[in-house]
Amino acid sequence: MKRTLPLIITFFVGIVMVGEFFIPHYGYRMLTDEFLQWGLVLAAAAYLLGIVNLIQVNIPKITQRKPDWFYKLIMLLSLAITLAIGFIGGQDRQVEGAAYRWVYSSVFTPLSATMFSLLAFYIASAAFRAFRARNLDAGLLLGAAMLVMLARVPIGENLPYIGEGLGHLMNWIMDVPNTAARRSIFIGGALGAIATGLRVILGLERSHLGD
Amino acid sequence: MNTARARNCARCLGAALLLLGPVATAAPPTDLRSEAPIYGGGLEMILSWTPPPDDLIGYMLLRGPTASGPWKAIEPIASDAIRHKARVVSDPRREAVPETVFFRLVALRADSPIPALVPGEASDAAAAESEARYVDSLLATGDVSAPVESRTRAYLVNLTPSRVMLALIIIAAGVLIGVFTRAARRGAELYIRRIPGIDAIEEGIGRATEMGRPVLYVPGIGELQEMQTIAAMLILGQVSKKVAEYQADMIVSCCIPIVREVADEVVKAGFYQAGYPDAYKPANTRFISSDQFAFTAGTNGIVLREKPATNLYLGMFFAESLILAETGFLNKSIQIAGTAEATQLPFFVTACDYTLIGEELYAVSAYLSRDPRLVSSLKSSDYIKVFCVVMLIIGTVAASLGNPLISTLFRIAE
Repeated sequence: MKRTLPLIITFFVGIVMVGEFFIPHYGYRMLTDEFLQWGLVLAAAAYLLGIVNLIQVNIPKITQRKPDWFYKLIMLLSLAITLAIGFIGGQDRQVEGAAYRWVYSSVFTPLSATMFSLLAFYIASAAFRAFRARNLDAGLLLGAAMLVMLARVPIGENLPYIGEGLGHLMNWIMDVPNTAARRSIFIGGALGAIATGLRVILGLERSHLGD
Repeated sequence: MNTARARNCARCLGAALLLLGPVATAAPPTDLRSEAPIYGGGLEMILSWTPPPDDLIGYMLLRGPTASGPWKAIEPIASDAIRHKARVVSDPRREAVPETVFFRLVALRADSPIPALVPGEASDAAAAESEARYVDSLLATGDVSAPVESRTRAYLVNLTPSRVMLALIIIAAGVLIGVFTRAARRGAELYIRRIPGIDAIEEGIGRATEMGRPVLYVPGIGELQEMQTIAAMLILGQVSKKVAEYQADMIVSCCIPIVREVADEVVKAGFYQAGYPDAYKPANTRFISSDQFAFTAGTNGIVLREKPATNLYLGMFFAESLILAETGFLNKSIQIAGTAEATQLPFFVTACDYTLIGEELYAVSAYLSRDPRLVSSLKSSDYIKVFCVVMLIIGTVAASLGNPLISTLFRIAE
């Protein structure tokens, strides 16, 4: 039963949700909306479990003084303080000047932006490795990348004689080979998703149940 | 609940405070038409109209139960629109769906009445009254179309060509799966091309075992209902079983709490199925943060502190892909990534040892299990892919010759 019940539920809900593509009646859509609402409620409730997991994973590391335990303490304290400020702020926590809003805009947002800005350096180091012309494929990649990069910066656009042509070449690379490759990945991915969906709905795929 | 909704509605649409100065009357929108589309399901109507010749700042759509009202301001519409999808009721759970409904369209100009905010503490009656005054002021401008009667029609089945085509493809996939499964059970060998990235997963787990270091599994940052996340959970089932058989450790780093809960169950089931339930460690399936970059920082922390020998990034990734993969590269981990996000594939290809591109992500679970039923589904999707390629070629030729039949068959968006 522990195996069969999830399979029955998956089959039933899966068929109902696929049916939405073919049954446009608003009564049916209300039913599928109801399922989606249940999903949202479950996902929201899981945040509580997420907090429990954070505490369960990090408290032992703090008490046992595992490496970098101090950062875990800061993380749990930040969680507790932000929660407390949010609860104290109540419905007005997002208004201008509220402490919660300050935490979000002056602490959280800059930290996120810092992480994101690392991407620039990682792109540089990854590009250095990717653009080594070791074989024909890598040489083509390097050539295409150099052309596109050059055409996208003002110095490339303004090059005498070839600036305009460079722009057209870049547009062709982006619009023709690049778009064709992206679409082929998209179509293949969509078909793979259909096949995976069918496997799960029909109960053929049971990896998630341990089979 | 209705109180809050009415107040919100009034707050958004405004009311009261009319600028009741002299209002210039100009031409209203004309020829307002209404059509019940099949996909509308009885709730949506397609409105079309001829715009007035002068400059507008937008339109306001009014809806009423009769041709003479009472009218309710439903939603603003952009000035360049000549078609709009309108709902016949705001919420079918709370209002009965009428058989007939009337719409009017008001042209908004710079001197049109403007809505005002209603204080949150205002009563329902006050909010409704101010909304009614706003509607009256709109009607008084004269920039309003004649009412159009809309008969709602809820179709039971959508039999447009594209939906029929989609149904046929799904049925064909199901039939092909059945045919190939039967063939496999009779002993026929179903060929699947070798995918080095998937073969490397087992090698990676073996390497982690030899080095006495964990395997890191990141199922992306997509919500659970995303197909790539579902695929990542299916792969996790196979991977956790292999990890248990090798008696290695595995850390699963999750960005979405409900994904962590599911991942935890999947890993637990994998360890039980492999016969090593004692080796399962719940603390190794971790929720890090639901924020993209906080999650990235936390996962990078795991890479740098716990030094996994193998990193598996399988699922839906966005800007964090390269930050994760480069950190893993610096840690000298074997890295295998898989995603259907075309924008992130170059990053993974650059920084990882193996990358599963698009559809390969969906094939991993079947490939690893070698279960004939699952392998047959790969074969069926290959045949449908061949069909799609043939249709693409025919459709391209037909569209170039001016025949839109094939493109109509595959157009899902409405």
